[in-house]
Amino acid sequence: MGKRAFLAALLVSLASGAAADTLNVVSWDGAYVKSQILGFIRPYEEATGTRVNVIQYAGGIDEVRSQSRAWNVSWDVVDLELFDAIRACNEGLLETIDRATLPAAPDGTPAADDFINRQVTPCGVANVAGSTIVSFRRDAFAKPPSSLEDFFDLSQYPGKRALRKSPQGNLEWALIADGVAHDNVYEVLDTEAGLTRAFAKLDELKSQLVWWQTGQQAVRLLETEQVAMSAVYSGRVAAAVERGEPLEIIWDHQVWYYDVWGIVKNGRNTKLAEDFVRFASSAESLAGQAKYIPYGPMRRSSMAMLDESLRERLPTSEAHLKTAVELNATWWSENLDRIAPRFERWLERPVMVPKSMPR
Amino acid sequence: MKRINLYVAIGASVFFSGGAWAQDDSTIKVMQAQIKVLQERIEALERERSMPPVQNLGEVELAAEREDEPEPVSEPAIKVGGALRFNLVYNEESDASVGKRGESGLDTFRLNVDGKLDQFLISAEYRFYSYMDVIHHGWVGYEFEDLSQLQLGISQVPFGLLPYASHNSWYGVPYYLGLADDYDMGIKYVRNDGPWSSHLAFYKNEELNDATNLDRFGFDLVRVDEQQNEEANTVNGRLAYTFGLQSGCETEVGGSLEAGQIYNALVDESGDRYAAAAHVDSRCGRWNFQLQGTRYEYEPVNAPGADDSVVRVGAFAGSYDIDSDADVWVANVAYNLPSPWRLIDSITCYNDYSRLNKSIDDAVDSQINTTGCAIGSGPIFTYVDYILAKNMPYFGAGSLAAGGEDDWQGRFNINIGYYW
Repeated sequence: MGKRAFLAALLVSLASGAAADTLNVVSWDGAYVKSQILGFIRPYEEATGTRVNVIQYAGGIDEVRSQSRAWNVSWDVVDLELFDAIRACNEGLLETIDRATLPAAPDGTPAADDFINRQVTPCGVANVAGSTIVSFRRDAFAKPPSSLEDFFDLSQYPGKRALRKSPQGNLEWALIADGVAHDNVYEVLDTEAGLTRAFAKLDELKSQLVWWQTGQQAVRLLETEQVAMSAVYSGRVAAAVERGEPLEIIWDHQVWYYDVWGIVKNGRNTKLAEDFVRFASSAESLAGQAKYIPYGPMRRSSMAMLDESLRERLPTSEAHLKTAVELNATWWSENLDRIAPRFERWLERPVMVPKSMPR
Repeated sequence: MKRINLYVAIGASVFFSGGAWAQDDSTIKVMQAQIKVLQERIEALERERSMPPVQNLGEVELAAEREDEPEPVSEPAIKVGGALRFNLVYNEESDASVGKRGESGLDTFRLNVDGKLDQFLISAEYRFYSYMDVIHHGWVGYEFEDLSQLQLGISQVPFGLLPYASHNSWYGVPYYLGLADDYDMGIKYVRNDGPWSSHLAFYKNEELNDATNLDRFGFDLVRVDEQQNEEANTVNGRLAYTFGLQSGCETEVGGSLEAGQIYNALVDESGDRYAAAAHVDSRCGRWNFQLQGTRYEYEPVNAPGADDSVVRVGAFAGSYDIDSDADVWVANVAYNLPSPWRLIDSITCYNDYSRLNKSIDDAVDSQINTTGCAIGSGPIFTYVDYILAKNMPYFGAGSLAAGGEDDWQGRFNINIGYYW
């Protein structure tokens, strides 16, 4: 028989190996997806034998919509902006994911209690968080600023400021600096008076404001001493400090946000996709990813697994979350179209009497 | 899928290699080993392929942080701009103006050229009025590494409140004396060091090198009738310090000096002139307060018969006498209103007051007070003013020297311009 039967068996064995489950996971590019691959995608493959194809994309829900509506789904799991996840969920493009089915923390705490965020969409499971913080040049001030109020205090801390050219985050900061409790920000911002109050507070800074559009620009403004303080994505500061820049972070009232995993509806691999999301959302997986990227795991138990030095750099550490403001993606998804034109108009309007008017 | 194909290919090649069936166990073992090596190699290659390139982990951004780098705006090295402005005036003291319920006409059409090629600068403006066309300014310059500038040509004389000693389009007393928004021919150095601002300039003469020509924008000494004086070899220095720089409440305090010769064409001799000013310019939030005190004196060498108590200045195709020895005061306030309207970008309301304290015996001091608002809406910029003037040129028989009128005259003025 022997040989013929053996080779036949070998072929069957290889064929069965080739037929192992395959999952298409869609995420972003660069070091972000690398941290996911190293943090939990490779371990998932090794643990389950499932082959994961990582596909890169540039955001949006057009492709998700197209695949789901055509019942021709090749993107099984997608790493989505929360804003997109809310929209896709509302359109019925994503499966709902029950937090109760996600793995509990190592100490037995149910996943629903272990996540830092409240669940704003039933279709997404939070993974890691980034944040916008205030950073300043150490050499710009004799007494270093320490709070968000200091960012708005031009008399105590004179110097140019930089903000992202967007109302998101800036209006929240303006209200907090004007005395609104960070828990009430969106309640106040939801009123016309609150919105006017936020713009009035930003007026105080306006004469000294410089605007940036990318995270790289924000750091560059600080590095080149064009501004003394700036809003910056938290993950950017560590790299700048490593380059020798004298930058410090003010974590007070950081504005934080996060991505979520979504499972595209009408796919053929839904069960496998759910299995992957469960694995990727475990405390161990999120902690694993955080070792490769300075963004914060969205589970408390993941944070506990990290070295203290690493934990201190993340936006989701207990200390940094004390006064943090969670960017309310739901609120912005409903109000951005209304507020953005007002913000654009406000940008063009001077506060101070111009040095010279047309003659 | 590729992986399955590879397995099938390997299997097929093994299966259909007929000679393989005649081989012994050792051959099978060798093949097994080869298959295993190939399988490992395939897996290694696939891992390598799916691994993204190494990047700086500190440079990444979350999805919400992503924004495309804006396309760099390629601005032309030389920009051409301009303005077309009209005036609508209701002059209470003019029968024709009152009878017609106001008058309107072209104020000016102007063309601007501004640019920077490497470190070399250019700035020029030419204006067309219904009664004259003039160069407003025109200079070439060089910008040094510390951003200080050297300007050569017809440039704004650095004196007192800059760039203007008023907020309105009708200006104030210093302008009508040639002590504000004046442009002469010479060389100027401009430098800013943090809160310090300094200007040093030497002007060879007035901008046209023809003091008989009254077609000019800024008021200068002009040669008319027995007054045959002209400006020559003037030095200007201006130093200012800004308190609270970049604090949202900035207050500039400064001093200016001007000293030069007055050449008299009739006697071919030169007299002297000087002017000194101290100013405060405070911008606090939406408020702006301006104060300026100026002392000036002309000591011409006139031909016999000419009146030494006055000098003749001219511009806008006309001329008049001014007191040759006087004090000038300026007090302006302005407030920038937040615009409640979508189409109105800016509303700046102001009250500008200025006064000439004359040294001529029994002369009535000249005063002008302008209350109004400047309104910006896209490319349209409009001044709406009510001007009250006492003994001012262009208001009845008003005079900046002796004589004139001792009553207030009112004028409602709208100046509307399109700027590009």
